[in-house]
Amino acid sequence: MNDTFTLPLTVFVVDDEPLARRRLKELLDDCRAQIELEVTGEAGNGQEALDKLGETPAEVVLLDIRMPQMDGLELAQHLNKLEHPPVIIFTTAYDAYAIQAFERRAIDYLLKPIRLGRLFEALTRARDAVPIRTEVLQELMPEARSHLSVHERGRIILVPIEEVIYLRAEMKYVTVRTAQREYLIEESLTALEKEYAARFVRTHRSCLAAKAAVAGFEKGGDEGESGWLLKLHGLDERLPISRRQWSGVKMLGETREQGA
Amino acid sequence: MRVRTQINSYAMKRKRSINQNIQHRLLPDFRNMGTVLRIVLLVNAVALFLALAQAASPNELWQQMLFGSALLQPVLLCTLLALYVLNPALARLAYWQAALLIVAVVALLTFALTHLGGELFAGTDEYGWFGDLRRLLQSAIIALLLLGYFRWRTLVLSPAQADARLQALQARIRPHFLFNSINAVLAIVRSEPKRAEAALEDMADLFRMAMNDAHELVALKDEFALAQRYLALEQLRMGERLQVRWHTANMPDDALIPPLVLQPLLENAVYHGIEPLAAGGVIEVRLYAADKRLHLEVRNPLSGTAAQTGGNHIALANIRERLSLLFDVEAEYRVERSAERYGVHIIIPYLKQEAP
Repeated sequence: MNDTFTLPLTVFVVDDEPLARRRLKELLDDCRAQIELEVTGEAGNGQEALDKLGETPAEVVLLDIRMPQMDGLELAQHLNKLEHPPVIIFTTAYDAYAIQAFERRAIDYLLKPIRLGRLFEALTRARDAVPIRTEVLQELMPEARSHLSVHERGRIILVPIEEVIYLRAEMKYVTVRTAQREYLIEESLTALEKEYAARFVRTHRSCLAAKAAVAGFEKGGDEGESGWLLKLHGLDERLPISRRQWSGVKMLGETREQGA
Repeated sequence: MRVRTQINSYAMKRKRSINQNIQHRLLPDFRNMGTVLRIVLLVNAVALFLALAQAASPNELWQQMLFGSALLQPVLLCTLLALYVLNPALARLAYWQAALLIVAVVALLTFALTHLGGELFAGTDEYGWFGDLRRLLQSAIIALLLLGYFRWRTLVLSPAQADARLQALQARIRPHFLFNSINAVLAIVRSEPKRAEAALEDMADLFRMAMNDAHELVALKDEFALAQRYLALEQLRMGERLQVRWHTANMPDDALIPPLVLQPLLENAVYHGIEPLAAGGVIEVRLYAADKRLHLEVRNPLSGTAAQTGGNHIALANIRERLSLLFDVEAEYRVERSAERYGVHIIIPYLKQEAP
C-alpha cells in the first residue's frame, strides 16, 4: 500500500499546440511540491502518443479533445488497447457538448486555461481512478472513429478508415484490407457495420466493402451465392456477394454508374 | 505607441459617423439601387391598384394605366433624380425635416410637370383647380406611404440587426479562440514576458473592436490592421501550421467597410480550414477595389472531414445578413467551394472616407 505513495505518478501530455503542452508541463512542475510526479513524455498527435506510451507507459494521460485528424475522444479509445491503459484526464478550451457528457458520466476534465489547484485535484484523484471504459467513450463520440487501431508486435498502429477497402470476418478476428496490406483487429463485424454504415456496404455474411471502392461486378462464385463477385478499385481480389445482399449491392453499383 | 494613435483615430471617426448612421436607418439611402428599385415597383403597384379600382373592363384598365403613366413616370423619374442629388443634404437633416422636404419636392414636381406638360395632361384636367389639388394630394400621399414603408422596414429589421449583432458578437469571439489564446499567453508569460505583453495588447484591441457598435463603418485599413493582430494571436498557438498570404497591393486607403467583416472570415478560415489539418496550410486574402466596388476574398484549404460536414457557418450567415441590411442588393456574397478549397468573396460598394 505504501508503494503507491513512494513511486512518483507518471504523467504524459497530449496536445497539438506546442504552447499548450509547455503550459501543462510548467503547471505539472509546480505540482511537484505537493505531489510526487514525473512527466514521462509528450505528443502532438495520436500515433505519436500511442508509440511513446507503448514504449514507456504512463499512469495518467492529459489529453486535449480538439486535435487535427483524430480528436481526444477517439484517441482515448485506442489508448485503452495498450497493455497498461492509462487513466485519462481530458483538457479542453471550450466544448459545451463534451463537458455536459463528461459531467453526466463523472469523467474528469480540465478547462483551459488550467488552474494549478484544479490540476492538482485531478492528479490526486487519478491515483485511485480506473480507465474510462471504451464503450462509454464510444457513446461520447458524435461520429464514427477516423482510424482503426491494430495491435502488432506490441505496438498499436492506426489505420485511417478511408484507406480500408474491405473488412472480412475470420474466426474471432476481422481482417482489415488496405491497398498495401492486411491487418487483424479484434472487433465485431456487426459493430463495425453499424459504426460505418455510411462508408461500407455488407456484401456477404462475413464481408463489408467500402462503397467508394466498388468498381463493378463479375459472373462467378460458389453455390449458395448470388452468382456474382464484386470487383474493387485498387485490388485484384474479388469479394463474394451472397444472394441475400445482392439486391442492395447491385443498387449501389447502379447509382454509382448513374452518378458517373 | 502606434497602437494608441490608431485607437484614437478610430474613436474620432466613429463619432463623426454616428449622426449619419442614425439618419440612414430611418430614411433610405436614395443612391442605393435597392431603394430605387423598391420605389419604382411600389409606386407602379399603387398606380395599378388605382387603375384596378376605376376600370370596369380590361380595355379600360389598359387605358387607365396608360393615362396615369403619362404623368406618373416623368414625376417618378424626376423625383428619383432630385432625391439622388439631395441625398447627402437629406442625411444631414432631422428625420421629420427630411420627410417634409421630400413630400414638398414630390408635390412641386407634380405641379410643375403637369403644367409643363400642358396639352399632354389636358385630358385628365377636367376639374380646373380641383385637378391640381387632386394630383398634389395623390402624389403627397404616395410619398408619405413610401416614407412610412421605409421607416417600417428599418424598424422591423432593426431587431434583426440587433440580434444579428449579438450573434455576430458571440460568433466572432469564439470562446474556443478566447480560452485557447489565454492559455497560449499563459504558456509564455514566464519564459517570454515581452511576447506575452504584445499578445495581450493584440487581444485587448481585438476585443475592443468586437464590442463596438456594429452599425458604424470603419476604415478598411484599420480592419486590415485588426485582422493582422488576430492572425498574430492564432500564429502564437499554431506556429508554422498557419500561413497567410496577403494580396493588398491594390487595397484602397480611403475605403470604408462595416466592422468585423474581415476578421470573422479569417476566424472561420482558421477554425474550419487550418486547425483540422495536421500539417496546416495557407490562407489567402485579397483586398482590392475594382469598378467602384470593394472586393474582399478569403480562401482556405479544406480537410477531408470538414468538406464532408460542411462545418458551422453561423458567423458567415451573419456577415451575409449584415451586408444585405446595410447595402441591400448592392452587396454580393459568393461562396466558392471545391474539394480541397473553400473561398468567400464579398463585394460591397466602395465607400470613401471623407477627408478629415
